[in-house]
Amino acid sequence: MVAIPKTEVVAVRPHHTIWGDAVIRLRRNKLAMIGLAFIVFLSLIAIFAPLITPFSFSDQNYYEVLEGPSAKHWLGTDQLGRDTFARLIYGARTSLSVGIFTQFIVLCIGLPVGAISGYAGGKIDNALMRFVDVMYAFPDLLLVILLSSVFRGTYFGGSIYMIFLAIGLVAWVNIARLVRGQILSLKTRDFVSAARAMGGMGNYITWRHLLPNALGPVIVSITFNIPRAIFTEAALSYIGIGVKPPNPSWGAMINDGFSLIFAKPYMLIFPAIALALLMLSFTFLGDGLRDALDPKLRR
Amino acid sequence: MAKKVVIEVNNLTKYFPITKGFLRPKVVAEIKAVDGVTLAIHEGETVGLVGESGCGKTTLGKCILQLYRPTSGEVIFEGQDLTQLTDKELRPLRQKLQVIFQDPYDSLNPRFTALDIVGEPLRIHNLMQGKEYRDRVAELLNLVGLAPYMAERYPHEFSGGQRQRLGVARALALQPKFIMCDEPLSALDVSIQAQIINLLDDLQEKFGVAYLFISHDLSVVRHISDRVAVMYLGKIVEISNRDELYSGPLHPYTQALLSAVPIPDPEVETNRQVIVLKGEVPSPINPPSGCVFHPRCYRAFKDCETIVPLLADCADSHQVACLLYKSSYP
Amino acid sequence: MKPLLEVHNLTTNFHTQDGIVKAVDNVSYDVNVGEAIALVGESGCGKTVSALSILRLIAEPPGKIVSGEVLLDGTDLLKLSPDEMRKVRGAKISMIFQEPLTSLNPVLTIGRQLTEGLELHKQMSHDEAEREAINLLRLVGISNPEGRINNYPHQFSGGMRQRVMIAIAIACRPQLIIADEPTTAVDVTIQAQLLELIKGISRQYNTALMLITHNLGVVARYAHRVFVMYAGKIVEHGSALEVYHYPDHPYTAGLLASVPRLDEPRKTRLLPIKDQPPDLILLPTGCAFHPRCNYAIKRCIDEVPSLYEVDRNHYSACWIAQTGQKPWQKKSS
Repeated sequence: MVAIPKTEVVAVRPHHTIWGDAVIRLRRNKLAMIGLAFIVFLSLIAIFAPLITPFSFSDQNYYEVLEGPSAKHWLGTDQLGRDTFARLIYGARTSLSVGIFTQFIVLCIGLPVGAISGYAGGKIDNALMRFVDVMYAFPDLLLVILLSSVFRGTYFGGSIYMIFLAIGLVAWVNIARLVRGQILSLKTRDFVSAARAMGGMGNYITWRHLLPNALGPVIVSITFNIPRAIFTEAALSYIGIGVKPPNPSWGAMINDGFSLIFAKPYMLIFPAIALALLMLSFTFLGDGLRDALDPKLRR
Repeated sequence: MAKKVVIEVNNLTKYFPITKGFLRPKVVAEIKAVDGVTLAIHEGETVGLVGESGCGKTTLGKCILQLYRPTSGEVIFEGQDLTQLTDKELRPLRQKLQVIFQDPYDSLNPRFTALDIVGEPLRIHNLMQGKEYRDRVAELLNLVGLAPYMAERYPHEFSGGQRQRLGVARALALQPKFIMCDEPLSALDVSIQAQIINLLDDLQEKFGVAYLFISHDLSVVRHISDRVAVMYLGKIVEISNRDELYSGPLHPYTQALLSAVPIPDPEVETNRQVIVLKGEVPSPINPPSGCVFHPRCYRAFKDCETIVPLLADCADSHQVACLLYKSSYP
Repeated sequence: MKPLLEVHNLTTNFHTQDGIVKAVDNVSYDVNVGEAIALVGESGCGKTVSALSILRLIAEPPGKIVSGEVLLDGTDLLKLSPDEMRKVRGAKISMIFQEPLTSLNPVLTIGRQLTEGLELHKQMSHDEAEREAINLLRLVGISNPEGRINNYPHQFSGGMRQRVMIAIAIACRPQLIIADEPTTAVDVTIQAQLLELIKGISRQYNTALMLITHNLGVVARYAHRVFVMYAGKIVEHGSALEVYHYPDHPYTAGLLASVPRLDEPRKTRLLPIKDQPPDLILLPTGCAFHPRCNYAIKRCIDEVPSLYEVDRNHYSACWIAQTGQKPWQKKSS
């Protein structure tokens, strides 16, 4: 019997895991890093809001109504005497939490539906996807408005949890389709066949092989979903069926500011710019993540 | 010295239906990927399966392992017909039937470490944990010529040949009786192919595992196989002992196939005539009548258009399906 | 007789996130009129990149042709403007790619893809071009060319697509055809058909052929001269007969020994080359092959060997061969 000769690893490139490699590539993307920095910055401000401003978002002061930016009120006051700056940074809390927490709901529903649909195929897949198609047929904003109105009458009414649900229950379809597509293409890969040949069953294969490899595009999609959710919340508050006042929301502030657009333009401009910057940051980050996670761009 | 049969395939067919229509899909045609194959593989033996793309060899391999469910026919292993078992019932048997895939870049989960990959069969069947598990994986890595410290690395940090070794180590983890090798060398460099062939040879000697070696590379198949079967359009057209097949091929397709392989020697090649087949491999949806090879066959005659030749013994352990030989007439 | 194509000291680099890869490192070769040469080597050795460099088809980031000259009939292709280069591609030098699936445009009929080049390079009218296209399809063995000229690539099988590629390549009667692994994606019987076709055509039109492949059998059958590449460099070159029967480099000898041959009795054990080809970013010092070489001496680790005429018209980049010894050559064969 001949001894089986060993192969040596003569010299190796620096040890990269897949995620490590993606992080390196992400860090090189300046726009993505700026976006990330802004998000972190805004989050910190939102968390430490009470330490930054002495005012709350609901303190009304009828003596200081509709003032312009000053030393006391950095961004002025609104028509009820509330400090605009305070409302802005507390409003960031609303926007960020809507952005992020809706995605939990989206993942909780979208991932399993997409995974089951993709892996099972056949009639289950057909049924689930037709349901998804029907939901897709409705404009999402309309559906969200519908759900909000329904929820308003119930226990939640006007709280931020209602917004999470309303947006989450509509946005999951996107992820479901995406996950399903990923799983369909991963199903045919040899390493999945290998797992089946070893005796791996459906659940095991889905959780250990398919989903982890489908994560890349899912993460990117979630990152793009966040600004959409933020904007939807702003839109809801703008029309008046978002969070109940005096809870702060950039959308509500924009609505208030709109009526005063010629007199006090700053009331509209600040929340609008804040909203735009936050959405832009997530979009840059999403772009960066997509490029960083794309295996074809490694070389 | 009659050896025991490990796997017996009887009249296996695999047809892929082509459907039209949305609500009530109708089958309009069938791709006859495997069309009636009977084959026996013995303990510790290597059966080489050759043929060109579309001949059904990979499909046959997958049907044996029930990765595709055959349309009809039997696959007998350890006294049971695998085609009649559910996935759950197959699970314990799967420990003894393993696969090595063609693409070393695709057959390993890019997010698993080498440890995860090689040890996966052990984990799926809950056989070992902790130190025992790690030791067994280290043992397997050593067996295929990889250093155990590489267990923490990811597939993309290995070369193609090393990845294929990981695939081999994984296939050996449960001490299988049978490994289907699906074109395991095609994606590898020439100098690495020889390494892997030697490895497979050594492991067979050591563990007595049987191989079904699927390949389109005739020189390699000759090196590693004990018996060789030639497939064309879903059927076996010739099967024999290795030496006999290569020195005296009977079926015209086998002859053309062998002549098409260029020899790495310019002097030999200048003096060698190549049999060039006319035409292309026909579609498996609409195979030709009679002998499926007749439109391209340089020795075809009238009967070939109408009569389907049987795969029959025409010499000692040499079977051929060709009307040039009387035994193939039904 | 001056060669048709001369490549002198070509170097092409690629910038990757882990470092610079010298895909082609100071490579020189030449092709004579009507001759067939082969660039042999395994994946990553630089053979395809050198061919793409000749036609300047290297994507400029991340690649860059750093130095050297490519003389076609005396003109340096690397110095031409993009417009002038376009006149060369397809007309003077054409290329057949490995994967016919991706090299043909799926939304154009094959007739269009044929006439495109004819109208551009030969200034033919549309009707003339179409007639010529039909002729070409007939020449490459596609039956019913009049009927099939308006078909799309997906309506052809792999082997036929490759024939269409060959037709496109010879459409403008180029002086040189570069065939990049033309048979890797097709079956062995189709491979035989295609290679015989290419050989026949190049004989008929006296076209030079540059065959890029890792298949030693194909090279033996169709090439007059062979250039063996390893890790971006040429390690040996000479006539096919010389190189195969008397390899002057241990890598060539190792390759030949590791391939099972149908015409020889079956060996009980193949003789592979140990370990794997080097990572081009982390090349060994001295001779890139030394870690895998059974005969390496100290000089091989220290100095990079240069090509040296070891036998008449037979060059090798090996320190040991230069001393006159060739321990890897079998005495018997």
